[in-house]
Amino acid sequence: MKILKGNPVSRGIAIGRTYIYKAFTADVHESYFEAGHEKEMLKKFMDAVDAAGKELDAIVESLSIESPEKAKIFSAHKEILYDEEVAEEVTEMINSDRAMPEFAVDMVFTEFAILLSKADDPLIAARAADLRDVRNRVLRILQGEEERNLANLNEEVIVVAHDLLPSDTATLDREKVLGIITEVGGATSHTAIIARSYKIPAVLGVPEATEILATGDSIVLDALDGKVMLVPDKETIQEYKDKLVEFTKDELEASKYLDRLPLVASGEEYSIGLNIGSTEPSEYIKYSDFVGLFRTEFLYMESEHMPTEEEQFKAYKKVLANALGKPVTLRTLDIGGDKSLRYLVLPHEDNPFLGKRALRLCLALPDLFKTQLRAALRASAFGEMLIMFPMVGTIDDIRNAKAVVDEVKADLRHEKIPFDENIKIGIMIEIPSIAMVADLAAQEVDFASIGTNDLTQYLHAVDRMNADIVDYYQSMSPSMLRMLGNIFAEFNKIRKPISVCGELAGDPVAAIVLYGLGLRKFSMNASNIARVKRMLSNFTLDEMEAIAETVQSKATQDDVIAYLETKINNREKVTLTD
Amino acid sequence: MYSKQTVIRNVSGLHARPASEFVALAKTFESKLTVKRLDTEDAVAANAKSIIKILAQGISVNTPVEISAEGPDEKVAVDKMIALVDSKFGED
Repeated sequence: MKILKGNPVSRGIAIGRTYIYKAFTADVHESYFEAGHEKEMLKKFMDAVDAAGKELDAIVESLSIESPEKAKIFSAHKEILYDEEVAEEVTEMINSDRAMPEFAVDMVFTEFAILLSKADDPLIAARAADLRDVRNRVLRILQGEEERNLANLNEEVIVVAHDLLPSDTATLDREKVLGIITEVGGATSHTAIIARSYKIPAVLGVPEATEILATGDSIVLDALDGKVMLVPDKETIQEYKDKLVEFTKDELEASKYLDRLPLVASGEEYSIGLNIGSTEPSEYIKYSDFVGLFRTEFLYMESEHMPTEEEQFKAYKKVLANALGKPVTLRTLDIGGDKSLRYLVLPHEDNPFLGKRALRLCLALPDLFKTQLRAALRASAFGEMLIMFPMVGTIDDIRNAKAVVDEVKADLRHEKIPFDENIKIGIMIEIPSIAMVADLAAQEVDFASIGTNDLTQYLHAVDRMNADIVDYYQSMSPSMLRMLGNIFAEFNKIRKPISVCGELAGDPVAAIVLYGLGLRKFSMNASNIARVKRMLSNFTLDEMEAIAETVQSKATQDDVIAYLETKINNREKVTLTD
Repeated sequence: MYSKQTVIRNVSGLHARPASEFVALAKTFESKLTVKRLDTEDAVAANAKSIIKILAQGISVNTPVEISAEGPDEKVAVDKMIALVDSKFGED
């Protein structure tokens, strides 16, 4: 039995067979065939085109109900697939040059992709990506390989991949994916967030997993400890079957805390927020007091055109309706050079996480920013909405952003379009420079929410996506705790609401410390609510304040964690008696 | 050979959905169909039945173009294509 280690980012246990998910890479060489085979090769090409067309039809059909925008992308692929010029040139290359179909397809599609990428209009240039996509599909079929996606799995599997793109996770079959293992990615990567929200056990950052494991391997995935056991023996399988039972039981126990009032052991209150990133209603809204983070990126990433004001307005209205009267904190577009949008070519940067992203991008593209703000303000007439800016580094950023909001408000007033005149405007605190002047920031905003994932990244100079340096990413280091304590104090001092919406708020152990440091608003993923409520209900205010004070004098994160473990000591596992 | 000239007047030009409609209509005719930009010296007539060639032209709003056809239904083809462009593809 071989044991691989990784980062357990979504709790759970899976016992089953693997499916190695590898993106197809075409490896085409210049090659020709002997005279006399022209008809045969041409037929091979046409058949491949037909097969590709059928695949695209199936995809369009499966996406058309839930994600019509995504379906359009694949319809456009079909158009390209049957393009006359492409067919003519490939046919020509096969008949006249006797080029092998793969070679001809590769040459022609690539030639056209280059042609399109030279267009002045960035929207056209971006279509080059579609050409490459279609090219790869046809090449894959010509090389006799199966379609690879996680939407059409025939059986239950544990998916193993180098990485999963949003396009992979967006279409994955939740019934069939028992677990996820990837070679890269951390606790706050896209894959981790999706795995947690789908309650799929996941272990990321397992180097060479796709080489060591093969499709069909029998494994045990321990996403509590972060282990993958290959060819487990009978005892191990039984051990984990038992652990799975216990885990399921514990989750069930914790879920009893879901609908309790959020109170600590000594009776003081706190509030629980929900983090969401779509217009899908969540059953967990009834266990929450507010939506602490409404991520709006999905509107931009899932569309093949710039989301219009109307489209955004409709989406924001729906989210407010889903929130059943509870306040929704809308975070403006938080995207940068690391992502690619089909309709907006974002500049390539060497350090996209330190680049022109989020608020910086919005301030540089006022039309885009104003469109989002207009839609948000119009929606604010239909529910309690708050607007929050990401990637704020200085007081200037706050003032510049607020100035645009004022302009948009003036426009709407002039157009006699109703909006909430008293709408609260706040910021994400995720860049250390603004955290250092939390007192000044608190004066300029109505509220703030701390993005602990990015704050840890920028404070510790650690790329949170880099599995190689995961030990340097320390979200509970003395530095972080002191910084957080200071931010809470400054906001509490002048009674401005402060919340944490990063992963730390959803970590029951961290929650104790955060509460002791002065936090009263915890916004998190649905899957963390029960356990955080359970943990906080087992400690008194005095206990947590004492714990918070002690940890601040610890020298390292390890010391902090070790100390916390002694204080917690499974106390939260006490069964609910009533 | 039959040709007619017109100007692209719809906001998004011959891109995305309008381009698709343009190509789809072109494909219903037997004749060979081309569209050529008239606002630049070295514009080449592009195959109107190829979505890629149309997109690569980058024809935006207010661009004068010439639509030509060669074949049995050339007159009807050109007239119908011009009519589609002049209808602004249903945009505003």
